[in-house]
Amino acid sequence: MSRLEAKKPSLCKSEPLTSESVRATLSVLKGIVTSCYGPSGRLKQLHNGLGGSVCTTSQSSALLANLSVTHPILKILTVSVQNHVSCFSDCGLFTAILCCNLIESVQRLGLTPTTVIKLNKHLLSLCTSYLKSEVCGCRIPVDFSSTQILLCLIRSILTSKPACMLTREEVDHISTLILKAFLLTIPEYTKGHIILGKSIIVPLKGQRVIDSTVLPGILIEIPEVQMMKILPIKKSDSLKVALFRASLCGDLSDTGKGTVVVNDGLSLENAVLDQLLSLGRQLVSDHVDLVMCQKVIHPALKQFLGMHRVIAIDRVGVALMEPLSKVTGTQPIGSISSISPSSYGSVKDLCTAKFGFKWFIHLIPNKATVCSLLLCNRNDTAWDELKLTCQTALHVLQLTIKEPCVLLGGGCTETHLAAYIRHKTFNEPESILKDGGCTQTELQLISEAFCSALESLTGSLEHDGGEILTDMKYGHFWSVQADSPSVVNWPDLLSRCGCGLYSSWEELNWSFLRSARHPFAPQPCLPHEAMDSANNLTVDCFTAKLSGLQVAVETANLILDLSYVIEDKN
Amino acid sequence: MARRGTGQRRHVGLQQLSPFAHTARTFLGPVKAAKFVVDAEGRESVLASSAVRLLEGLDLPGATGQLLSEAVRAQHSCYGTGTSTLLLLVGAWSRAVEECLHLGVPTPLIVSGMSEGLSSCIEAVASLQLPLRDVLGRAGHTETLPGLESFSVSLCPFPQVPSDAGLIPKGCDLKDAASQALTVPSLPGRTAQAPGAAGEGLSPSPPPPRRGQLAGGPRRRSALTHSRHCRGLALDQPTSGAAGAHSRACSDLAELAQGLSHGDGDSMRLVAGAARLQHRAASAHRGGPAGPSTFAISRVFTCCLPGLPETCSCVRPGYVTVVSVPSATLLEDLQKQPLRVLLMEGDLTENYRHLGFDRSAHVKPVSESTKRLQQGSPQSPWADHVLQVLIEFEVHLVLVHGRVSEHLVEKCARSQRWAIGSVAGSVMQAFAEATGAVPLAYITQVNEDSVGSGVSVTAWRRVPSGVGDGARRMAIVLTAEGIHLVTAVLTGPATAQMQSREDRFWTCANRLYHALREQTVFLGGGAVEFLCLSHLQVLAEQSLNKGDQVCSGGLHNTSSWLASSLALYRPTVLKCLASGWHSYLSALVCNTAGSSSEPEAQTFIQYHLQHAADSGSPSSYILNEYSKLSSGVFHSGVSNKLEQIPRVYDLVTPKIEAWRRALDLVLLVLQTDSEIITRLEHTQIKSQESEGFLFL
Repeated sequence: MSRLEAKKPSLCKSEPLTSESVRATLSVLKGIVTSCYGPSGRLKQLHNGLGGSVCTTSQSSALLANLSVTHPILKILTVSVQNHVSCFSDCGLFTAILCCNLIESVQRLGLTPTTVIKLNKHLLSLCTSYLKSEVCGCRIPVDFSSTQILLCLIRSILTSKPACMLTREEVDHISTLILKAFLLTIPEYTKGHIILGKSIIVPLKGQRVIDSTVLPGILIEIPEVQMMKILPIKKSDSLKVALFRASLCGDLSDTGKGTVVVNDGLSLENAVLDQLLSLGRQLVSDHVDLVMCQKVIHPALKQFLGMHRVIAIDRVGVALMEPLSKVTGTQPIGSISSISPSSYGSVKDLCTAKFGFKWFIHLIPNKATVCSLLLCNRNDTAWDELKLTCQTALHVLQLTIKEPCVLLGGGCTETHLAAYIRHKTFNEPESILKDGGCTQTELQLISEAFCSALESLTGSLEHDGGEILTDMKYGHFWSVQADSPSVVNWPDLLSRCGCGLYSSWEELNWSFLRSARHPFAPQPCLPHEAMDSANNLTVDCFTAKLSGLQVAVETANLILDLSYVIEDKN
Repeated sequence: MARRGTGQRRHVGLQQLSPFAHTARTFLGPVKAAKFVVDAEGRESVLASSAVRLLEGLDLPGATGQLLSEAVRAQHSCYGTGTSTLLLLVGAWSRAVEECLHLGVPTPLIVSGMSEGLSSCIEAVASLQLPLRDVLGRAGHTETLPGLESFSVSLCPFPQVPSDAGLIPKGCDLKDAASQALTVPSLPGRTAQAPGAAGEGLSPSPPPPRRGQLAGGPRRRSALTHSRHCRGLALDQPTSGAAGAHSRACSDLAELAQGLSHGDGDSMRLVAGAARLQHRAASAHRGGPAGPSTFAISRVFTCCLPGLPETCSCVRPGYVTVVSVPSATLLEDLQKQPLRVLLMEGDLTENYRHLGFDRSAHVKPVSESTKRLQQGSPQSPWADHVLQVLIEFEVHLVLVHGRVSEHLVEKCARSQRWAIGSVAGSVMQAFAEATGAVPLAYITQVNEDSVGSGVSVTAWRRVPSGVGDGARRMAIVLTAEGIHLVTAVLTGPATAQMQSREDRFWTCANRLYHALREQTVFLGGGAVEFLCLSHLQVLAEQSLNKGDQVCSGGLHNTSSWLASSLALYRPTVLKCLASGWHSYLSALVCNTAGSSSEPEAQTFIQYHLQHAADSGSPSSYILNEYSKLSSGVFHSGVSNKLEQIPRVYDLVTPKIEAWRRALDLVLLVLQTDSEIITRLEHTQIKSQESEGFLFL
């Protein structure tokens, strides 16, 4: 007998953003992401409180993946940031903070959501069209014939993740390795479309960061015992490879819930082993030199192959299957009953190598765009952070090859953009107001809110009580010690702007970011200036930042537009 | 999910770390004090004599504690040594960093200043590295290895004798040896007693043939041997020469081993013996894994025999293990001849299947007749089959990594064959290398190529068995021609002690291994730390004088205002860094040289720091004054004949890595501002604790 229970009515809350508890949780979330932002951002220890592993991080992807938020508004926010990060890897915190800032600053105005959303969209399109236009003053083209800007880009990413615990030499070393790894994934000869290869990050925890290295080809970790059984290879030109996806373990395939009834005296195991050995004979007669299997190879088959001087490597793991098949040009074999000769591939050479305490087989491909980045760091938590950072950097390089330009980093793009928006809405409001629906005052209010959201985002770069200035020519970001006397010779106190492009010795006027300024048109930087000081620029990925900006504004609009939260209590 | 701030003024994480400085103090230096870790009811206790064991015994609360034990474990698994240094520095630096926070130094500046300072120190101490010159090579050619022999001789007979002047025989030519022993009262006299070795290292190029001659004489098991040895060397000692009193290289295994023993001469004697045995085996059979100057630590094995007195500890070539002998005559029969051997990777039982084999498939055997449906019966055809294979290939010994079916053991014993289970992987590999056997998973795989030959079995000694244990337990030795495997037999009266005995052995083994691998060592006993201190002093002064012109240091973000105020805070931060080595040195001084109080130790360090600064070049001050070291720590009172004081050595990379790890951990915790506990509900936190938690 089943019992029926009366359904509870759904809970409906109106105007969720006005609720005090929602504001409080939103500000907690904002506090978390803001305090993580930038090279001097503070780290968070994530753990389950029960003795599970501790993750020390300041990256949005690690942070948000572990945060379990309850309120739907927070969920919208975290999910859209996570989606952004999964597509672009970088600028997750930027997106989250900007979104929180926009919600906060717009809420104070008390305008109707429709007006706010409409104007926000206008301002966003103003931003994106400016960033994409030729006159954009905070964008630098990337010259792929030199490594300078690319290295700056990688270095900016590495230094903005303090939990990697890298010294300056280590940052340089890892930046070079990442760039090298990226270049190894670019095919040498292409017709039409470029298909980038893959860099595999091989963990080597506990070693010094300086011991990290990049190798073309694939590294497969093997136990030392197996190392001894691998005989030197006799062939010179290339090795024939068979790659198995199917298990060669010799166990029976899963029978599900059914039972196999066997006549006593018959051994299914032996039958399967016979089948494996006949497979082995076929491999030998096909002159295969190297057999690799995702899963386990039966010891007897291994022995058989070894006797015929065929190298057998098992337990390769699913993660390596795709790159292995790419490198060797094989079709992974899914069954042990028949092999078509077309599924064999080849590698140029194979050797064994020892890094740290681990032994590896190193497959050197004929011509393929796969490389292995052997990544070391002292402790687990710093290694995890470094791995995530390297993946981000590699992804960002891929994005940059599609859109060969970078944005100025260190807060300069944001302050510059804010200056541009202010100038635009102050001097040319007609272009936005022309389709009607809102007044100039509303536009001024919203644009001020939008710009202050951008500017307070740059303020989040400062965690130690410094103050932020902006110059009245380029609209760049300058940081200065707190409590500086108001009448000072600024050039003495300042050194360089956030991105490192301009030094304080230029004839500039500064003003505090939080103080009111007269709108001005920020000057674009000249290309040769960029090149002169390109060695230590802080730059950001163009595509990721642009998308982050869009996602932040659109998510903020979405959240501002919410008028009811309906909760099913059943 | 909850978030907890770690606080601004009082950093909770750092506060959790700082007590460890005090805990680790007693683990440093030659005189270590073990600790009992007792559970709350006082019923169970563990003896901890190293940082790793201590942290294993403690249940460290919270994320910070976990990061600490992770760091210690990582250091231990990488280098097997340096964990106490790590623990002490973590504690000292976290306390110092807290102090910095109090003084209002911005966090990024502490981070950059300290990591920059450490890098600079690491560069500076490179001047204290000594190259090793073919240490094992020399040890291998001279048959008796004079230094080590005299060393071990002097150690063995008097292990319990407390250190005092009376220990030094009157016939000894070393006039100052007695006074030395007196100046180091807390040091067990035995480490100070092998000065011969140290004397050798001081001569710029000790002529090996001459040394061999000296030692070639009859070895007498008395202190006279080593006194003669010393006199001989004293004659060898060049009175003049460009190299001066402190030649930079270390070229003698005994000297190296003693210098690295850090007060644990007993264990180091065994380790050095193991290295020598391995080297002999390697030079007899060229092309083995043990190259000319390496110590293959993976081919060293320990066998613990509790119940025997400590003096019975020794090293033996081959594999020593304790087994229960299945039958009385078996061992006698097997001892007579070299045996053919089979190596099995897994268990040697009927039901064993190789790793990864999934037997979940539901297979149900059916039979038309009802006779043969019993499995695993004593007359199982499987054991017969195994035996048949063994007979066919004339295999008399089976070494099995996993378990062996008891039934099979009995069956084999009846036909004078022996299957030994639970053999360590490294042992299996060593036998595979030496005998040509190939480890197999199944007995059906056996063929002529996979069988090894030339293994000999020797009964070594009876082992005291537990009460009521009727089995005949024997320690046996398995060897093979050209095997690189060496077993260190560790004995001790108390079982509780064995763990720490084994740990100590491995610590020494790792020290020697890393020293030989790197072919370089640091001048030890605090010299490195001392140089760091005086280097930091110089750095701090420089930054005061130069002001803004000092580069931005380790700060990544050079455009921030922090970069320009770095110079302002640098002296404070460097002082903070120095305090780590200060407490390291004072712990060392307290433990070693017998300065009873910490203030005394501090004054002593200050005294030398001042002198080093006055001398203009701290590193040459240390090199000059090093001769005045008494067992490693700068000692003001000693003005004896310099050459006879043994040197102390430290490892290079493991030490530096321990520093880096310690600093990384402290800085990681410093930069953490909040702790996010996932999957935590409101209800799970008690009301009084919920203060400081924020919920999402």
